[in-house]
Amino acid sequence: MTTAAVELKDWEPVIVAFCCNWCSYAGADLAGTSRIQYPPNVRIIRVNCTGRVDPDFVLDALDQGADGVLVSGCHPGDCHYTSGNLKMRARWALLETAIEGAGISPDRVRLQWASASEGQRFADGVKELTEKVRKAGPFRRKWT
Amino acid sequence: MGSGESPKVGVFVCHCGHNIAGTVNVEHVAELASEFPNVELSTHFMFMCSDSGQALIREKIEELGLNRVVVASCSPRMHEPTFRKVVEEAGLNRYCFEQVNLREHVSWCHMKEPEAATQKARDLVRMSVARASLLEPLEVKTVSVEPHALVVGGGVSGLRAALDIGDRGFRATLVERTGNLGGNLAKLSTLYPNNEPAKDVVDRMSLAAEASENVTILLNSEVTNFDGHIGNFEVTVKNNVTEEESEMKVGTVIVATGFDPFEPIGYYGYGDSPDIITLSALEEMKRDGTVLRPSTAQPPKNVAFISCVGSREEGVKGHEHCSRYCCTAMAKVAAELREEADEVLMLYDDIRTFGKGHEDVHRRARQEHVIFSKYNKKKKPAVKINDSGIMLKWNDVLSGENCEFRPDMLVLANAMVPPEGADEVAKIFSLTRSADGFFNEEHIKLAPLTTHTAGIMIAGAAQSAKSATDSTTQASGAAAKAVSLIARGEVEIESTVASVIDELCSACHTCVTACPYGATSIEATKGVEVARVTEAKCHGCGTCAAGCPSGAIVMRHSTDDQISSMIAALLSSAFVHGGGEK
Repeated sequence: MTTAAVELKDWEPVIVAFCCNWCSYAGADLAGTSRIQYPPNVRIIRVNCTGRVDPDFVLDALDQGADGVLVSGCHPGDCHYTSGNLKMRARWALLETAIEGAGISPDRVRLQWASASEGQRFADGVKELTEKVRKAGPFRRKWT
Repeated sequence: MGSGESPKVGVFVCHCGHNIAGTVNVEHVAELASEFPNVELSTHFMFMCSDSGQALIREKIEELGLNRVVVASCSPRMHEPTFRKVVEEAGLNRYCFEQVNLREHVSWCHMKEPEAATQKARDLVRMSVARASLLEPLEVKTVSVEPHALVVGGGVSGLRAALDIGDRGFRATLVERTGNLGGNLAKLSTLYPNNEPAKDVVDRMSLAAEASENVTILLNSEVTNFDGHIGNFEVTVKNNVTEEESEMKVGTVIVATGFDPFEPIGYYGYGDSPDIITLSALEEMKRDGTVLRPSTAQPPKNVAFISCVGSREEGVKGHEHCSRYCCTAMAKVAAELREEADEVLMLYDDIRTFGKGHEDVHRRARQEHVIFSKYNKKKKPAVKINDSGIMLKWNDVLSGENCEFRPDMLVLANAMVPPEGADEVAKIFSLTRSADGFFNEEHIKLAPLTTHTAGIMIAGAAQSAKSATDSTTQASGAAAKAVSLIARGEVEIESTVASVIDELCSACHTCVTACPYGATSIEATKGVEVARVTEAKCHGCGTCAAGCPSGAIVMRHSTDDQISSMIAALLSSAFVHGGGEK
């Protein structure tokens, strides 16, 4: 077996997640409290609002070798700060275009809404992204 | 501790009994963490939140001169306030504390993968240590509290709350959308468990509120504008009859907007026959005199009830939880109808007469020979309507028999649902809502009466379906919360607000359009236009900082550097393997 093949066999996707404090972070708490099991590949960074998520954070994470990035917030209309999530949604459209334009599979990034009462929804989102990222394989910029 | 001092981080990993340590190798995580940059001490303990756990943190801060503390335990939504207080007691600024969530986000959701869970725990601690090293102490600010409370909703919950605040000697303004006080309670006949007329209860409270010199009642009125922050809210109330608007300042708000009775369209033939009615409609009939069959105006002889209409249903029109009033209300009215009717049948899913004195009501219905039959939840009772009337067919679960009954009146025990206008109320007061639309409390056990908007309390059926007894209990609790805030006279506010680095600002207005609260504006200082943040208006969402193209906005306690350091700490570790995009 070649070194690369060994590495691939041992490879586990690393996913950076940005969760808003009021909905999705609490939703992830609920998933835990409800003992809902989901893939352990995600590392959550708590932000007050998805509106706080600078597109640079997403690009930086990919640039530094994350295999996938999740942004999870309150449902549109339910933002704790009334409309921060809508700002994120607007940025996301541009961000996705930029990511695709750079030749990165859009399967590696995900924007989702999961409320504080939707532990299952949060877990399902993580599961789906992890599976997609696993299928896409390890990520590293071609030019490095 | 000055911000220039080099960071000395203490890491405290919690076992939480078996909760974390049962899955995550906490000793190993603590050992690894001792090697992370700036870590002066890394240790583990059975319960960090216990008195001895808290003492350990204080002791180590003093002994080793720690200036940043990382506790890896449960969700910060649970114990961040606890540990902030602990570090403060040891002389640190509360914003120099950082919590890692190893329980809700690791051990409880990866129970069968101890190795991966331990790796995840290690990574999360590494990320938080990196962030902690960049945390800055922030000034803790206090603001004065306007000694005046706004109560929204003049039902039984709002009345109770306003009265309690008035009794304590503080001003309360009660805003009610309709022209009457009493809300849904005023539509009922008599109340369980002691058969008191609902009107008497409502009248006693309304008269007391009207007589109180501290309580102002505004009928036919709605809150149209709401601004400010805890202690100092500015409210605009509009009278919908006179169209007049009044403005007031309040320190705190209690939202008691109640519920609407669920309109069970699509359930059990509702709407197809005038003799199929809701329990709420039956109650109104009783309140106004006698119960008559709508189609004939004669007293009904054979009455059937069906329970849980719109309650305990996931993902459909009503809501998922139990409405917590209908079993007892149904048993009570069923027993009363037996005085006139030949047969009264109660089709139930489960009987939940749970409250004090409710079992007596249930027993009385049994004594009056009300027929109880448990229906099959998966195959609900079928209602057919033809010329000869209503035909009810169901499977009695306990006997296994298929049964039939021809009621001349069918009563559906309908759920409580969020009232019309709940969307607006949620927006005005920035309240979050559960999946079934009720307003969320801050924490179901630790803070059941406060909301995520500081200074705003909830009470009664606005929070979830419940009986008048539970509603008034909550209302008194919410009033106590409001009063304690007012009585203290001042309140600490979060220092986690945005600020502008003038030199970097190009006055592009992006932050002005991004801010949901109008807290950012462009002002000319010495002839140069730069962005300004009105701190009292800033809620700390950070949307401006994310939008700023010049990096000119610093979102305190959530700075670009602090967030980026977490990303770097995770990815600079041993994770990156080869590969490459296809």
